[in-house]
Amino acid sequence: MKRLVSSVLVVAAIALSACGGKPPTQAPAAGGAPVELTFMMWGAPEELAVWNEIVKDFQAQKPNITVKVEVSDWEAYWEKLKTMLAASTPPDLFAMDAPLYLDYQSRGVLKNLQPYLDKYPNMLNGIYPQTLEAYKLADGYYGLPRDFQTIVLFYNKGMFDAAKVAYPTADWTYQDLREAARKLILDTNGDGKIEQYGFYSDLWDMELVWSEAIWAYGGDILSADHSKTLIGDSKARQAWQLFHDMMFQDKSMPDTTTAAQFGGDPFQAGAAAMTTIGHWAVPGYNAVNFKWDVAPMPKGPAGAATSVNSAGFVVAQGSKHPDEAFEFIRFVLSPAGQTRLTELGFAIPVLTSVAESDTFLKQPGPGIHQQVFLDSLAFAHMKPVFKGYDEWSAAVGDGMAVIWTGETDLNTTLNEVVVAADEVLAKNK
Amino acid sequence: MELGLKPLGRERLVLGLMLLPTLIGLVFGVLGSVLATVGLSFTRWDLLTPPKWTGFTHYVALFTDDKFIRALTNTFKFSALYVPGVVIISLLVAVLMNRKIRGLSLFRTMYFLPAVTSAVAAALVWNLIFARDFGIINAILERLGGQAVCWLCADHILTAVLIVNVWGAIGEGMVIFLAGLTAIPREYYEAATVDGANETEKFLHITIPLITPSIFFQTIISTINAFQAYDYVYMMTRRGQGDSSFPVVVFSIYRNAWNFFNYGGASAQAVELAVLVMILMAFYFWLERRFVVYE
Repeated sequence: MKRLVSSVLVVAAIALSACGGKPPTQAPAAGGAPVELTFMMWGAPEELAVWNEIVKDFQAQKPNITVKVEVSDWEAYWEKLKTMLAASTPPDLFAMDAPLYLDYQSRGVLKNLQPYLDKYPNMLNGIYPQTLEAYKLADGYYGLPRDFQTIVLFYNKGMFDAAKVAYPTADWTYQDLREAARKLILDTNGDGKIEQYGFYSDLWDMELVWSEAIWAYGGDILSADHSKTLIGDSKARQAWQLFHDMMFQDKSMPDTTTAAQFGGDPFQAGAAAMTTIGHWAVPGYNAVNFKWDVAPMPKGPAGAATSVNSAGFVVAQGSKHPDEAFEFIRFVLSPAGQTRLTELGFAIPVLTSVAESDTFLKQPGPGIHQQVFLDSLAFAHMKPVFKGYDEWSAAVGDGMAVIWTGETDLNTTLNEVVVAADEVLAKNK
Repeated sequence: MELGLKPLGRERLVLGLMLLPTLIGLVFGVLGSVLATVGLSFTRWDLLTPPKWTGFTHYVALFTDDKFIRALTNTFKFSALYVPGVVIISLLVAVLMNRKIRGLSLFRTMYFLPAVTSAVAAALVWNLIFARDFGIINAILERLGGQAVCWLCADHILTAVLIVNVWGAIGEGMVIFLAGLTAIPREYYEAATVDGANETEKFLHITIPLITPSIFFQTIISTINAFQAYDYVYMMTRRGQGDSSFPVVVFSIYRNAWNFFNYGGASAQAVELAVLVMILMAFYFWLERRFVVYE
């Protein structure tokens, strides 16, 4: 009995260590041997169908490669991914949010794609350079963007018409935004409670509105070496003050508690006349029963500014089929792949030729000015990419949250948040 | 326990066999992760690169970690109210459900329903009920001439979270107490009636003493659940990307591990939570020897 137990343990130990060891390096399947790739991404369930279409198109070219696409929601995706990486059984390919890229790359789990890119020197021609910047490191690219987001101003045309306020233009400043928002407030039944707000945007994550405003006011988010948090500097403070005034003085912007009652998106719920968000919101807004359109982000004292961020893909360092994985990336970045991706409607293709084609500009929907998303690139700042991003953004977002519920004072809290955020940066050096 | 019957010979074998599936699950499923958690709590580990030994660093840091202290304080405040809440209310519900009334099984089902409902879905509905401007509770309050309360804001969130968690736990507590109540011999009540005791006296002098084993058991279960409370709490207090306006310890463990690449620190928090629960359990068992009556 004892011998049986110990031999079972030995076998189990061998099996376990075999799992944990380095994957055997295989010769690339030269056109013939069938290969199955796993591609994991976050997204809505309907995205799976489109990705399977992309895979089908890809297989028409490379019949020996099968791609198994797995889509999970945002939180589940990162949990699953980390667990699989820790167990040394990562998917061959997986989706990456640019700001989180360095948290993974610095831990050595991503494959350097430069040797592959060297084989196809023209591959990145025609891709928006602003979207490539996030992934470019001294020794090459460890990931590539597949689509991107610029943030623009969305407005409810009906509410503007009813309040006789002129639609937002490219010349709007944040003061214009504030004034228009004030005029758009409505208390329809006169009970002293506001039914229609002028403006709403999420103030937790920097991407939705506050990084854009800080840049437009001439401030910045982080120092160039990512060692100091600058959101408490005087120019940045003007941007914070603006939202604080809109929320607590003008009451043209609902606080977070109020906004939560509208499912977190008062614009979509028809309770706010304007919002700032990216193209990912478009499919959802296409389903609303009011007319809306988009305009560029307002200007500040330092000019126009918006944020650009991309979703990309990376190849796992432990992938057994990096060559085939790269072939799939190459296909998704080809005009055929990018066109399919654009039809999904959630994002903007990184390939200029597809973004500037009718596939993107004349996509189905209420006929909004899609061009605004592309023009915004001219004054877009890259959403910062640095190690420790997840924890830093939580230190800022969680820390500031008590201001937007009206629990604490703006300046004191902001000072504390900057200290906490700098501690995170120091820890992740 | 000493007063109970002791299993003998064959019975012991049968008992052992019946416990086997649970024991196998514990040893191969839980024990490994418990040991791993203890081990990892002494390291710095980001899941992706090999762990680095750091000794007691994480434990020492917990004493000055404001966020952890806040989470721990919230967990204690919550538990101190949740445990008596669940024990008392589910006992009262069980007593009510232990009579011959019309539609008894319907009522029992209704009280048990929260236990089999998805916590996430239930919490979302509760959020609507508690909503400040459109919620039904505030509508009733205002109709009665009261002031609307922001239930999900900082001042009242503990109350709101308690209500929902207690509501969710009554069903299971009721089942435990019903089992205990049906085991009380009817003769005791008949004898008390003959002696002229009223309902309250019967409850205080017969029911309560004889049901102490169930109270003890339910207190232990509720305490463990209180310290592990997460799903309702998170769904009712989440904001931003993964933040909670009422962080509890389990939330803090989750956030440190999965959002901050800090599995070592998260493990240390988990171990500390386990140690605190164990200390409480030791105290409970000390109380058990003094107050719990086994017939």
